[in-house]
Amino acid sequence: MATATYPPPPPYYKLYKDYLQDPKSAPEPPPPIEGTYICYGANYTTDDVLPSLEEQGVRQLYPKGPNIDFKKELRSLNRELQLHILELADILVERPSQYARRVEEISLIFKNLHHLLNSLRPHQARATLIHILELQIKRRKQAVEDIKRRREEAQALLKESLESLEDTGASLMLK
Amino acid sequence: MDIISQLQEQTNKIAALTFNTFGTLQRDSPAVKLSPNYPEPPANPTEDAANFAEQPKLMSAALVQAAKQFDALVAALPLADGGEEAQLKRIAELQAENDTVGQELQRQLEAAEEELKQVRELFSQAADNCLNLKKPD
Repeated sequence: MATATYPPPPPYYKLYKDYLQDPKSAPEPPPPIEGTYICYGANYTTDDVLPSLEEQGVRQLYPKGPNIDFKKELRSLNRELQLHILELADILVERPSQYARRVEEISLIFKNLHHLLNSLRPHQARATLIHILELQIKRRKQAVEDIKRRREEAQALLKESLESLEDTGASLMLK
Repeated sequence: MDIISQLQEQTNKIAALTFNTFGTLQRDSPAVKLSPNYPEPPANPTEDAANFAEQPKLMSAALVQAAKQFDALVAALPLADGGEEAQLKRIAELQAENDTVGQELQRQLEAAEEELKQVRELFSQAADNCLNLKKPD
């Protein structure tokens, strides 16, 4: 069994010889890539957006527009799906050779359903971000309160010890 | 699992139930007489007649149940509908608040560290005095 040695690491490590003494003598990390890039011969894009249904050649059953009422559309698509399943059952009983169109319509409804659910994901991402920010603000406020309390406790302790020192000092002086 | 993934799982489950229903019924159903000229189909009264009558009922009940579950999940979606702009506005507000609270925290931290330094200084002086470790002048 022939094995090849691993390729050597890229030679850039030599540029970082004096990094500990002078961090600026070494090159900066490369900036993030924008636009399209090629990886192992395939093209990738950095712009991650959900392609609309028309781009995939699928008819869109729910109305387009800026603000879609997701719950209503999901429910109506569900009802359409059930109706189409019933239609398919009927067709199979009466005219079995015409199943293809019904099956196509059912798969169209499923594609629309999944596309709607996928387009809810950015909304979910923003909601998660809001939740995380709120948690962070809460934790920071808690930390501020804690620090204030500890400082006050420390001040009180110092004052108390100072008073007790003065007392003992005064009592020594009086003796 | 988050609600959107649950919804996706539920749609896939409805799809699976659908094609399992049709496939099973088509595979297991007894033969049908197409024309009066053909002879009677051989009747196999094995397990078919008994179980087969309930199968459509059970499978369609499962399908309807899955569809109801989907509706329940849709109703449980926490879509406080403000749209994208409202969310982005809220994010900007929260970021501004986060910055101010962060700066306050930083100030408190610096003040506390300053006080800690002073206390340590005092403590070392007091300890030196107690132990009479002053340098000979």
